[in-house]
Amino acid sequence: MIYYLLLPVFSLFLLTIQINVFDIFFLGKIAPEISLILVVYAGFFLGIARGGTLSVVLGFFMDCMTGVVPGLFVISYLLIFLISNIVSFRVYAGGMIFTTVFTVVCVLFEKLLIIMMYKALYGMGVLYEILNDSLLQAVVTGILAPAFFALFRRLEDLLSVWESRSSRQL
Amino acid sequence: MASPKKSHTVIAALILVAVSLVSFSLYFKTPERTGFFKKIILEAAVPLGSAVNSALGSIGTTWKRYVLLVGLEEKNRELERVVASLTREVNDLRETSLECVRLRKLMDMKNDVWFPAVAARVVGKNRLSVFQTVLINKGTVDGIEAGFPVMAAQGVAGRIIEVSWNVSKVLLLVDYNSNIDALIQRNRCQGVLQGASSSGCELKYVQRSEDVQVGDVVISSGLDRVFPRGLLLGTVAAVEKKNAALFQKIRVAPALDIAKLEEVLVIMKRRGEGP
Repeated sequence: MIYYLLLPVFSLFLLTIQINVFDIFFLGKIAPEISLILVVYAGFFLGIARGGTLSVVLGFFMDCMTGVVPGLFVISYLLIFLISNIVSFRVYAGGMIFTTVFTVVCVLFEKLLIIMMYKALYGMGVLYEILNDSLLQAVVTGILAPAFFALFRRLEDLLSVWESRSSRQL
Repeated sequence: MASPKKSHTVIAALILVAVSLVSFSLYFKTPERTGFFKKIILEAAVPLGSAVNSALGSIGTTWKRYVLLVGLEEKNRELERVVASLTREVNDLRETSLECVRLRKLMDMKNDVWFPAVAARVVGKNRLSVFQTVLINKGTVDGIEAGFPVMAAQGVAGRIIEVSWNVSKVLLLVDYNSNIDALIQRNRCQGVLQGASSSGCELKYVQRSEDVQVGDVVISSGLDRVFPRGLLLGTVAAVEKKNAALFQKIRVAPALDIAKLEEVLVIMKRRGEGP
């Protein structure tokens, strides 16, 4: 229960950090999508209910704070979560190289969804432009992914300790 | 037969997919309206963002200064050359402006309609390469509505797309979704300025026969009835004429510097009002 109560606060905090802090340190040139790393992590290590809710909440918050077409981030994050979840049943998802490569693929997949949406809704062909902009971002996000996986694992451990303590008190 | 745990998983996944599809379809039903939950999130994001920014402000400034010091001397020399050139230009323009005032009086031209405006501070910048939006600290409480044009010191910044009580989201003119009816100032040649994200903007639907040169100033035409006429949009950065193409490919460098966008002016002009 604590998990679901903390989820909106944590999502809001994470996205605020993502938008503001990286803007300062990368001078607006690159914007690593930490929220997407978290979605991939959720797909690998959290269950459908917890991870799925996390993906929907993060996607919704992203739509609210940065999106232009509402609902797009919700759909793309949920799809990436489901794909990661399916992949985690078949492959050992803890390896550093696998995490990096898979995250890069997920970032590019997300951009591909956006390109398809632009084509479908507005008839705009922006494949080259978006992929050109996204390639470096995908690589940087992928490189950062293992470090953030470790951080998220630590947070998950802390949360489970807190949950078990509070359930014992009850 | 599927185990109960497996069927629960499938049901949960289906519910989540349904939720996301409903959220997506809602946009097409009421694209102009900002929902209640969305308003709450926008309201909560701004104080949190401001707190993070103020906490990291000094670190950020030091970091930016360090990065900017690289190549500062060369930039300084270049700026001195630019200042000298601009001083001459300002003098010429002052003369032209005085002449224009005299002519205007002479012709008894009606003055342009000016709209009330609200100054706002940028409180959240989104640098994800696809969607180019910023959050500002003014909303419906200050009279802002979706569709209002937004100006920066350098020129047009974009337009309001979502409004909460104290926060609004601005679609910048470099976003792919941004389309502004524009003119080349020199020869009044008309086109549509579309955002192209990190590449700046592209002036579309300008015929091959039109004379467009690098450095030409691009302004708003006012024909889209969103942006008032004559606002600075940018300058032509590159022109490409392909043999078989009907239109030219014109890349425009926006006047707006998003990296330095800190304050904006929201013009209280509804679509269709004024010139």
